[in-house]
Amino acid sequence: MTELDTSAQVGKVDVAALVEPDRVHGSVYTSQEVYDQEMDRIFRNGWVFVAHDSEVPEPGDYVTRRIAGEPWIVVRGKDGEVRVLANRCTHRGNRLCNADAGNSSSFRCPYHGWTFSNDGHLTGVPMRDGYGSSFHAVRDAMGLAPAAAVDSYGGFVFASLNPPAITLREHLGNSTVALDRLLALSPTGELNLRAGWMKHDMRCNWKMVMENNVDGYHALFTHASVYDAVKPAKVSHVPSKVEVYVRDLGNGHSEIDYAKEYTRLDEEFIWFGRIRREKLPQYVAAMEEARGPADTHRAFVVGPPHTLIFPNLFLAEMNIMTVEPLGPGRAIAYTTPALIPGADEVNEKTLRRSEGAMGPAGFLIADDGEIGARNQLGLAAGSPEWVVLRRGEESDITDETGIVNHDKSAETPQRGWWKHWSQVLTGTTTAAAPDA
Amino acid sequence: MSDLTSIGAAAAAPAGAVPAAGVDPALASFIYTEARLADEARYSEWEALWDDDAKYWVPMHPDHDPKVNVSYIYDNRRRIRSRVAQLNSGNRHSQTPPSVLRRLITNLEVVAQDADTTTVAGNFVIYEYRFDLTVWAGRYEYRIRARGGDLKLAAKTVHLVNAGGPVSTMSFLI
Repeated sequence: MTELDTSAQVGKVDVAALVEPDRVHGSVYTSQEVYDQEMDRIFRNGWVFVAHDSEVPEPGDYVTRRIAGEPWIVVRGKDGEVRVLANRCTHRGNRLCNADAGNSSSFRCPYHGWTFSNDGHLTGVPMRDGYGSSFHAVRDAMGLAPAAAVDSYGGFVFASLNPPAITLREHLGNSTVALDRLLALSPTGELNLRAGWMKHDMRCNWKMVMENNVDGYHALFTHASVYDAVKPAKVSHVPSKVEVYVRDLGNGHSEIDYAKEYTRLDEEFIWFGRIRREKLPQYVAAMEEARGPADTHRAFVVGPPHTLIFPNLFLAEMNIMTVEPLGPGRAIAYTTPALIPGADEVNEKTLRRSEGAMGPAGFLIADDGEIGARNQLGLAAGSPEWVVLRRGEESDITDETGIVNHDKSAETPQRGWWKHWSQVLTGTTTAAAPDA
Repeated sequence: MSDLTSIGAAAAAPAGAVPAAGVDPALASFIYTEARLADEARYSEWEALWDDDAKYWVPMHPDHDPKVNVSYIYDNRRRIRSRVAQLNSGNRHSQTPPSVLRRLITNLEVVAQDADTTTVAGNFVIYEYRFDLTVWAGRYEYRIRARGGDLKLAAKTVHLVNAGGPVSTMSFLI
């Protein structure tokens, strides 16, 4: 019997007791009951990333997604609006749309032929006489259920399946700075996320996938093989040698921020293999024309964000990652390169860099997946019960951007994640409401 | 040295011919050697099979274009060297220790032929034992070049049957 028994027979687990300011109970990664509460509180009742505008650029374009295990269609209607519709025939429950992506003005259920327009209305019911006089009432009432709220920022489309307590802007809070930082690298302010999503089956809890992305401590060890055998780190991982910060942005969002170090060095593209701007003449010209030389130089120096947006979006510099939980011990990490419309000379390099670092065969993420799997195995041990997140607690400072720590290896992002996670699960804040 | 004339004859063989009989034994032997070196984590020996213009490709869809689509692996010769260096470092955690692997390659056919290069395709199954048993399957396509007295691997494409779905960690040599 452990100190905090999360087994099913004790009934509803007391989530409030699982998170303390500097440590979390191991069962947050392993308990089915905790997982079920997460799906309900975080994924069905809060804002989650679902797709990007560029995946559905034209009327009729759609992609299919799962949120908390449920099938959804993200589709652009002929009115240009992006809707998130339950991917389930309202008649007998058949999954309506079975492709990953496509273009269609309507979705026809193969089971009994019911047809829905891509704005969700039920438009066709074969052999309608069977419904007698109630046909029109049946037809009008049985459209596809939409997500309660859909909104976007910078092309990133988010949905809240149930009515959200706060707006998307309120949820995003300080993290819009990171989204803007990414968009500042595009002459048009737009991105293209159509290169395809790598789908990496990870044998670990979904939160490990996400919080590891803003762990500044692990790189020298988990990724030693890259730095030793392939290429040195872009800047030192030793905290005392660099102006790299970790930051709890509030609302569970967090980041590792290289901007100050890159600015101190005043060197462009450290984050892009230190490529010289002469190698990217068309892109540089388009950027300077759109943004002017000074802002272009600054964008090239500070580069893209390394920012986690709670709960399921990671701005992985020139990649975008999202995670799909599949039970306490399994998750799929989806990764796609952030391409820049019209900037082919950049994009081909981004594609190759993405393959090099990310996904199931990537030089980095394959090892993160392995460490995640071993973490899950280690947490099967009943004792010690807690995971310790104390690094840098005494050197955290608060400024207008959030809680900041000058030591890149500080566990400040993790503390921010868990504080918010606990508030959402215990209902001490509405899903993803501001921490303040 | 393989007899390229007979390989060319095999490529032109009518449908229904016994394919394996048409693949030059030297090419089949090269393919099986490559498979065995990959299975046995003999990374540097495996790397030595590659030609300078190598392309090692694991796409997410057979119709994808590497200029616009991201792949699971799209290595040129330099990145193959890096991949092997990482595996040899002893700190590639996802292959430390190496997965226990055995692969079967079958249904070999010669699908194209030019002056010095033969393209051979076949099906594969890989049994990977790591945390438990994982089965991989798909189609290999090899471009094998006769160079001096040697055969070199110019390209290897791996079409996974589950390329469109979630893929487990794949840091072994597939």
